[in-house]
Amino acid sequence: MAVWNDGFDFPTELCNKPQALVGISGIDVAKNVSDREVWEALSNNRATNRALINFKLLGPQHGFPPMKPKRNTYDWYIPKGILKRNWIIKHLQELPAVNVLFFHLDWDDPNFAAKKLDCANRLQSIRGALKGRLTRLAVVLIQRTAPVAGEDPSAADKANALCTACELNPKCLFVLPLGDHLQGYILRLEKAFLELAQGYYHHAIRAVKSHRDQLNKTTQQYLMVRHLFKIGFLSELKQDSHNAHKSYAQAYSQLLDLRVADTNAMEVKTVAGLINYKICRILFFQSMPRDAIAQFRAHSEAFKNREGHKDLVFEHYGWLAKQYWVFGDLFDEAIKQGVQAVQTQHPGFYYQQAAQFAIQRKQSCELLCQNVTTYPEPDPLTGVDTLEFFGQRPWRPGSLSVEPIDPNRERDGILALQFREKIGVNHSSLIITLFGIAISQFKAFRCPRMRRQLLVQMAEEYFSAKDYGKALTVLTHMLWDYRSEKWWRLLSAILLRALGCAYLTAGLQDYVTLSLEALGDAAQLSLQDKTRIFQNLNKILKRQLPDPEPGLSNIDLPHAKDLWTASCASADPPFVTVDMSNVASCVESKARFTSTQSHVDKPVLIEVFVKSACPHSIKFSKLLVTVTTPSMSTELPASIMGATEDDPLLFETNTVKVFLCQFIPDHRDVGSEIQITSILLHMGSEGDRNIILRYSCVSNESGGADDVCPELQHFRPTPIKSINFDSIRIQSTTHLVPRTSLLDVSIQHDTPALLGEWYKVHIEMLNNEQYNISSLSLDIALIPSVDDPHQELTTQLCKDVSGELVSLPMQLLIGDLAVNSKKEVCFYVRALRLNTRNLLIKAKYLMLDAALGNNAESWNASDKVVTISVVKPFDVLTKFVSLQLDPLTKGVALEPLIAMPHTECLSPWPIVIHNSSFELAPNVSLVDETFISQLQGLELQKGEMAAEASVLTVSQPSDQPVHVGTYQLQWSRKGQEHMITSSTVTLPTLRVENAPIYVEMVLPAHGWVRTPMAVSYRIHNHTSRLIDVDLSMEASDAFMFAGHKQLQLCLLPESVRTLDYNLYPLLSGLVALPRLCLSLVKEGQLELPPAALAELLQRCLPTHVYVMPQAKGKSSNSQIPVPS
Amino acid sequence: MAVCIAVIGKENSPKYVACLHSENELQFHYKVHTALDVVEEKLSLAGKSNCDVRELYLGLLHSTEEHKIFGYVTNTKIKFIVIVEAANTTLRDNEVRTMFRRLHAAYTDVVCNPFYIPGDHIVSKKFENVVKSIMSGNS
Repeated sequence: MAVWNDGFDFPTELCNKPQALVGISGIDVAKNVSDREVWEALSNNRATNRALINFKLLGPQHGFPPMKPKRNTYDWYIPKGILKRNWIIKHLQELPAVNVLFFHLDWDDPNFAAKKLDCANRLQSIRGALKGRLTRLAVVLIQRTAPVAGEDPSAADKANALCTACELNPKCLFVLPLGDHLQGYILRLEKAFLELAQGYYHHAIRAVKSHRDQLNKTTQQYLMVRHLFKIGFLSELKQDSHNAHKSYAQAYSQLLDLRVADTNAMEVKTVAGLINYKICRILFFQSMPRDAIAQFRAHSEAFKNREGHKDLVFEHYGWLAKQYWVFGDLFDEAIKQGVQAVQTQHPGFYYQQAAQFAIQRKQSCELLCQNVTTYPEPDPLTGVDTLEFFGQRPWRPGSLSVEPIDPNRERDGILALQFREKIGVNHSSLIITLFGIAISQFKAFRCPRMRRQLLVQMAEEYFSAKDYGKALTVLTHMLWDYRSEKWWRLLSAILLRALGCAYLTAGLQDYVTLSLEALGDAAQLSLQDKTRIFQNLNKILKRQLPDPEPGLSNIDLPHAKDLWTASCASADPPFVTVDMSNVASCVESKARFTSTQSHVDKPVLIEVFVKSACPHSIKFSKLLVTVTTPSMSTELPASIMGATEDDPLLFETNTVKVFLCQFIPDHRDVGSEIQITSILLHMGSEGDRNIILRYSCVSNESGGADDVCPELQHFRPTPIKSINFDSIRIQSTTHLVPRTSLLDVSIQHDTPALLGEWYKVHIEMLNNEQYNISSLSLDIALIPSVDDPHQELTTQLCKDVSGELVSLPMQLLIGDLAVNSKKEVCFYVRALRLNTRNLLIKAKYLMLDAALGNNAESWNASDKVVTISVVKPFDVLTKFVSLQLDPLTKGVALEPLIAMPHTECLSPWPIVIHNSSFELAPNVSLVDETFISQLQGLELQKGEMAAEASVLTVSQPSDQPVHVGTYQLQWSRKGQEHMITSSTVTLPTLRVENAPIYVEMVLPAHGWVRTPMAVSYRIHNHTSRLIDVDLSMEASDAFMFAGHKQLQLCLLPESVRTLDYNLYPLLSGLVALPRLCLSLVKEGQLELPPAALAELLQRCLPTHVYVMPQAKGKSSNSQIPVPS
Repeated sequence: MAVCIAVIGKENSPKYVACLHSENELQFHYKVHTALDVVEEKLSLAGKSNCDVRELYLGLLHSTEEHKIFGYVTNTKIKFIVIVEAANTTLRDNEVRTMFRRLHAAYTDVVCNPFYIPGDHIVSKKFENVVKSIMSGNS
């Protein structure tokens, strides 16, 4: 690494951001505590927000770098190089911009005059040491007492006196009180120092500029560059990055104008690298990454082809690599500072390019330095660290001649450089480092494939560095990625390389795995390669040495052969297991169960398909299938299906063979899954080394990432008779189910069931088995319904209608059943809601099982599902009508009304109504004393309707609709009269209003013409007040009548007044009755509008009556009908 | 004009790769493969911004010292990659678009062939001829 560091590494002083140098003197850190505090406040905590100042503590007798004698004219000055190596350090470390003298002096010091002189003397000595320099001087008085608000009036005078004594500008005199706010004072001092420093650098720049103006462009081009660089650097110190960039850019363009010969190529490139670095760095800091990248592009473009001395081309590539590397670092740093990078423009590309150049460096080194064996004497490289200028050759420093002065020394020098390059530089580690950085960058910027390519290149480098183990590790990881995206061309290249690595490291496992993949269809290798690999694989099986892969270095072969000899001789490992799930192998295998369900009493069949794409016929010794069930895991041998062959496990190229294996499942595994875990193909015969190809069948859904549509595979032409391997779907699990029972369970029931009835389900069991069965029981359970999750709450079961309810699931114990005998059983279901119920009827029994041995019994089961749909038996619609049979929308308290339930039969079966009744609410009562059902014994067919009526009164008016009560029906299916079901229907609610007066009319059903009929009006007063009404009877053409025509009535509270009339009908037919009119004597007495009273009468009173004609020959004065 | 032309399947596996100089075939495979990074990125961005879905041309994907790589994606996520030498500065964007359009048309013809199973490697003389003519610049 020696040459690398000397030649191309950038000096650290250049890479850091320049800070103004401020010298501090007069402070004794070792002895004085307060001085130490001041110094620590100055020098510690230099956070980024503080001024860019580098404080340097100077002793009392500090010597500054001596001033060079001033030249009067630059006319004859010929520079010996471009940039002096010590110049930057001088300005950063040695020559302060400001020198600050700290001095302990209080204004009220008794010895003020003496101390003033002391201070002046000290300042004078510093001034003397800096003679000729432009360095600014400043004095800080450290005072014990803090300044008081009023301020010492003498302080200003004393300060003036001090300045005069010291010949100091009063602006450069500061006071630092020791006390609480030291840090604050220090920060303010810093700002003042920075201003002074900037003034200094400003002057320094002007001084350099004045030199530059005298320069001669033809002979002093070096100086032009140097001066511009100096201006740029001083501007940076001044923190004027704009001008710094301008000057550096000018310096760079001047540099490009220089004449470059082999002798100064290195110097020019070194300086160009430095200036370019400065420019890029400033541009990045100014958030101009595009400009920085453009500058770097131009830089690399300008120097890419300036190779310099042809024997030192590796130096050129080293330099280029370094340029890219450093630029990558700068870019990366800028990204950390907030610059945005994108996928196609990020530091990774620069590191990658750096790695490429490092590879070129290595190659040219190998080419140029192969014959260099000795280091020349005397060492031409002595003094390489103390050169005056950047990038010059130590054997001819300061030489400006285009031709080397001494050809022998020149040759020695080149030899020495070549020797160092060959011996001292670890190229591979550099290249791998660069690749490593680049890889992490590519990963960060979402370039997985570029990263993979770099990893392959990295492995390539490991390979050439003879670190075959690492190369193999990296390559095997990459194989997986390229395989998953099916880049077979790339995969093949990597495979060959990896195979070489595996050979050289004698990695048996990897070697076998890689060989199997290399023999496959996907690997695009030549037949010659494949044949060699195939033969090697066979040699491994026979414990012979494999042949080396072509293209391996001869130096490594003997060692590899030793390793293989040892590996072949050892018995360990007796077999190599290769997991084929991640290998695109030459032999593929699939296994499937023949069905998704297997019965426990029958053998389970597994088909195994094996396809070989190996270019040569390949022979296996065994084919096993591993099957896992919850209780066991077994390996089953498979046998060829179809015609027997001599050698069923010998595969020609591109053949598919089908094998079959079977096993008897265990009864304990009933209800669980059986899985094919793996297929094992054994290679190699007894005694030889065995290779086991293990194909995993668990979750092998490789079709997911495939862009081959399975639907389209059927279009693929396959030879007739041959099996299309690709279209075979893997069925790696099967469900083990119990044997099919021969118990015949037949179920009879008359669906649909009627809502609320006990529904009979009849089960008949017939034993068709070969043996008697025992412990037969039926489990009846409800299958959960999707529509109604709480169906079990509305479903009831019982064994007997008169018995108790049985909770779900119900079990019916049957007992034993002999062969060919029959048993019947029934149970009842009641549905309380209308939706279909599915009942699972499971018959379980014990039976002799011949498979398990004598007298061994096993459980068998048979399932049946009963679907019961439920319908309503009838629909009840209740109407309320008035006594006049007018439909009512509302009732009136204490007025009778009729409730009429209409029952419509909906059942497909005829139903018989056994009884009906009303269950009335407390404030509702029957007008009649008892209710006698009018529907009793009625039989209804589907669609028929039955109605009955009952007169009710409601005692209380209410704002809310009044709950009237319920209507109950007792019914049964016709023919099942013993199973009476009682259904209850809630009557509709009714709004009940209040009416103060109620008039009822007692009237015979009909009258006869010219036969008087007696009627009476009964006027009820329901209020607790006295009501005066006017009553009038309107005349009617059809009647003559006797009674009050007009009358004023006084209705007592809560009483009834009866008015009797005698009507004498004149006409026959349905004739209108004389109309009774009522009106209140005092308007508004009952808060009742007159219209309401009229409406009341209209509602309560019949308007017409039937009058019969007189029978002929019958006496006119027959019996007068008298109202009851 | 072009030095390498590639057709990449929906799941990024190569369906067809042709190079003008077959000795560098492996390098071009790597170049095409790495260019897919940029294609993927562009596609995922396009999916988010929901911009003009009819624009199939992806433009310049990546340029190195020697080559420029252009990309094009069909609506069925078949990718076309064309690699042009960086030295060829006379090439205009329009000409690259024309190359892709011709390639797309040729690919459509391949898919329309009833004996071609989508997803397979492209083996077609006609397609080959189109690719060759694009590479030689006879448009």
